[in-house]
Amino acid sequence: MPFSFGHPWFLTALASVGIPLYLHLYYRKTPVKRDFPSLRLIRLSNQTLLNRSRLKNLILLMMRIFMILLLTFALARPFLSFGGNLSVGNGAPSAFVIVLDNSMSMGATHHGISLFNAAKARAIEILERMGPNDKASIILLNDPGTVLFPQLTWDKVDLKESIRNAGLTAAGTNLYGAMLPAIKMLMPIRSYKRSVYVISDVTKNSWKPFLDAYDLKRVDSGLDLVLVPVGGETAPPNLAITELSLRTPVVLKGRSVPVQATVVNFGSHLQKTVLSIFIDGDKKLEIPVELQPGEHRRVIASCTFAAEGVSHVRANLPADALVFDDSRHLAVKVLAPQKILILRPPPDEQGRDTPDDLYLRFALNPLNRREQTSFIIERRSPEEAVNVPLTPFTAVLLVNGRRLPPELVKSLGSYVMGGGNLLIIAGSRTDPNWYNTNLIDNMGSGYLLPARIVKRLGNAVSKMTAYQLTDFDVGHPSFRLFTNEENGDPGRAHIFEFFQVEPNPRALVLAKLSHGLPAIVEEPRGQGRVVLITFPLDVSWSDWPLKPTFLPFLHQTLFGLISRGGLPADSYLPGSPISMMLREEGLKKVTLTLPDGHLRDMPIRHEGPGLITVSTTDTDQAGFYQLVCEWSDHIWKQGFAVNPPAEESDMERMPTSEIPRFITLKQRPGIGEKLGEKVTLVREGREVGVPLLWALFILAFSEFLFANRPSSRAVKP
Amino acid sequence: METARRLSRYLDPKLLASFSSLEVRARSVVEGFVSGLHKSPFKGFNVEFAEYRQYTPGDPIKDIDWKLYGRTDKYYIKEHEEETNLSGYLVIDTSGSMSYKGDGLLSKLDYAATLGASLAYLMLRQQDSVGLVTFADGVRRILPPKSGMQHLKAICRELEATRPDEKTNIADSLDRVAEAMRKRGLLVIFSDLMDNAELVIAKARQLRSRRHEVLIFHVLDRHELTFPFEDVTLFEDLEDHTQVTADAFMLRREYLRRVQQLVSTYQSALRKSGIDYLLTDTSRLLEASLRSFFTRRQAVGTRIA
Repeated sequence: MPFSFGHPWFLTALASVGIPLYLHLYYRKTPVKRDFPSLRLIRLSNQTLLNRSRLKNLILLMMRIFMILLLTFALARPFLSFGGNLSVGNGAPSAFVIVLDNSMSMGATHHGISLFNAAKARAIEILERMGPNDKASIILLNDPGTVLFPQLTWDKVDLKESIRNAGLTAAGTNLYGAMLPAIKMLMPIRSYKRSVYVISDVTKNSWKPFLDAYDLKRVDSGLDLVLVPVGGETAPPNLAITELSLRTPVVLKGRSVPVQATVVNFGSHLQKTVLSIFIDGDKKLEIPVELQPGEHRRVIASCTFAAEGVSHVRANLPADALVFDDSRHLAVKVLAPQKILILRPPPDEQGRDTPDDLYLRFALNPLNRREQTSFIIERRSPEEAVNVPLTPFTAVLLVNGRRLPPELVKSLGSYVMGGGNLLIIAGSRTDPNWYNTNLIDNMGSGYLLPARIVKRLGNAVSKMTAYQLTDFDVGHPSFRLFTNEENGDPGRAHIFEFFQVEPNPRALVLAKLSHGLPAIVEEPRGQGRVVLITFPLDVSWSDWPLKPTFLPFLHQTLFGLISRGGLPADSYLPGSPISMMLREEGLKKVTLTLPDGHLRDMPIRHEGPGLITVSTTDTDQAGFYQLVCEWSDHIWKQGFAVNPPAEESDMERMPTSEIPRFITLKQRPGIGEKLGEKVTLVREGREVGVPLLWALFILAFSEFLFANRPSSRAVKP
Repeated sequence: METARRLSRYLDPKLLASFSSLEVRARSVVEGFVSGLHKSPFKGFNVEFAEYRQYTPGDPIKDIDWKLYGRTDKYYIKEHEEETNLSGYLVIDTSGSMSYKGDGLLSKLDYAATLGASLAYLMLRQQDSVGLVTFADGVRRILPPKSGMQHLKAICRELEATRPDEKTNIADSLDRVAEAMRKRGLLVIFSDLMDNAELVIAKARQLRSRRHEVLIFHVLDRHELTFPFEDVTLFEDLEDHTQVTADAFMLRREYLRRVQQLVSTYQSALRKSGIDYLLTDTSRLLEASLRSFFTRRQAVGTRIA
């Protein structure tokens, strides 16, 4: 805790420290000569005292030097500074930023009072101490951080009003997002006393990563970082649902799907509770759960969705200390059986059907059913497909086609840009030149092929050399399944012949062959996607269709393509921006229904020819959001869920002693100094002149006693 | 009394008058018999029979004549009574250190001489004989014990003529005194005892073992007992004239501790050996010192008689 001084020129008197030093070290008294009967006892005594007197002299020297120091400091009116505002004078105005934590964990209660309300009261108390020349700003500590006043302001009324109107969010804590703007805002103001007041419940989950990653000691020492903790030193017991998800990528109407919820006991006692599952507001399941302290329990419930469209799944627990995490939401896109169009190769010269798509058809719908199946297959030749509308199909599979009619090429382009998925499977009939020319070069920016085809490599006749699939993109839905070794290894398949391709800059290589050339390439195009497989999915060039990994790969790839349409099924964090690309033609309006029932018209931004983007950041509330897109001919509904971050439910406190650089101002109502007084102390320091004078008095008295210790009594005759 | 006043400046008539009613009693040494007031301490052991008297309860049983009891079947006590005169030596330290005079009127030697002369006068008045020994590094002068008031003049003359000088050698001096004393007697030593304490105690014990009654006046100045100095002081020894510079204020505590230790050593060692020890502060009135002496001697005499 350094000092600042009211009358610093008095410190020049520190030079007088040399006086006792001179007297002790150099000044020698002229001794008084005196006869004495016998020096025998004096000699003996003097020898004993010689060492002792040296120590005493040293102590006296120290005491006298310290007395001079104390006197000098006391006259210089020292202020004991708790912070680092030494470079500016005592009368300098203050500039400060209040960082108010409004993350979800602040919704808990402590002694019956909401932590957030307590924090707001503390913020008002700090603002009450704001002088007429002081200026301040307010930043909210929710993720990603909200700067309420980008510039420091003198308007105390406005600041207080902003604090009163600040709302609690279901978002997490983003210390970077709040602290960095606060520090940047104050850094240039050198002539002010600068402080950042962070009012927070100091949860370990939010503070520890920040402290690990950010070296607070690098912050300018002239900037006071003040922590005002709220909510006590121990976290209240809390039960939370930290996860709600589907265990399958696609939900089909009428088919049972597993829904997984994770319930966590963040308390220190055994807890019994009931997990309820609601679908579109109707309670479907009630599952009793017993949780040990700290236990994470996964509960899997089987749910069936009767109608197509977007459904709202909600998992619920009885309310406890923190109600925000007692519910969790999930938007589920329920689909009808997906229609797949296979553009089969033309019949051979004898008019017989080629077997190129045999394995595909068998993998997708072996019994060729129309009901109780995931995929409904339609086969058309390219010429037949010219007149077939493609929009009803989830995906179009172009199998070993030599050339396509120009009308079909155009139709496929519109289909993909509007959200369709195209799977191009190369084969013996594939003409690289035609593909490169007509599916890339001639289409301009609306090209379809994700990679330029170069040439055929390998020999499927001799089968002298076999290549294997390798370098899978395990983050992609096609291969995510195979991260679990029990689901097999696509690398065991042998590919004898394939096309060498050069992927486009925006294309992703999902798998390579063992010598490093791309095997499967994907590129998003418009709202849709195009996947190119460089070898045929039959047994002419490879044995993959005979391997157990073939069918899961095909299903996962198609499910991946299907589920990526529209908004992703994953839940969003509060405050996250949501955006979606839509077809412009015939679009009338897009409306967002918030969890509290309010409607918002979504702003529309033109993205490209025929495409628009709708986006919003109005996602502060946790719950289910519904997006309704109205075209002239139809209405399309989408939904998404916003859930609080799971880590906010763990309210374990970070010991303030482990937080470097921060001055902690703890306050209990009615006990000790008020927060405002403490804030003033931090800002102005405490004048310690009087205590120093008292210390000087005590030291002088001690010195007197020490220097004049009474000798023993005279010997009585 | 007027005669005594003229005898010497060391005889303070007022002082001596205040003790005119006191008896100086020797405790153990009386040889010879001269009519006087001193009863022999050898009563019951002396060769000269006095009388028989009937035993009364309280008489010492060891004094019963058992032969007479055998003959008479009665208890008789056999008494030997003998009155003798006292032969004493005043042994006075005249070393350099005795010249010290603090802020009082008398130097240590003056004070010791006055005390000695007073005692001499009292003893001579009682028909006792008194001698004088002065010593420093060795014995300087010996006046053999004589009775009669005329001898007082000689003692006082000798004391007046003595100048303090030289170092102190008490041990050798006491050896010489012991040789000079042919009969057992009273030895009153006046000294500041600035010598090896163990040696002094050993020599005093030797004297005591020769059946002399030994009495030591440890004469110290007020300054030696209180060390009232405060400044840085260059102390010069009055005997060997060596010098020591010391911070008197700092030194006081340790010096007084050592003085206390020295006095305690003399006190306990000498009293254990049956030697009277009296610490004498020259700032005290002579009357007070003499009163202390007589009070002590009376108490001792009562116990022994």
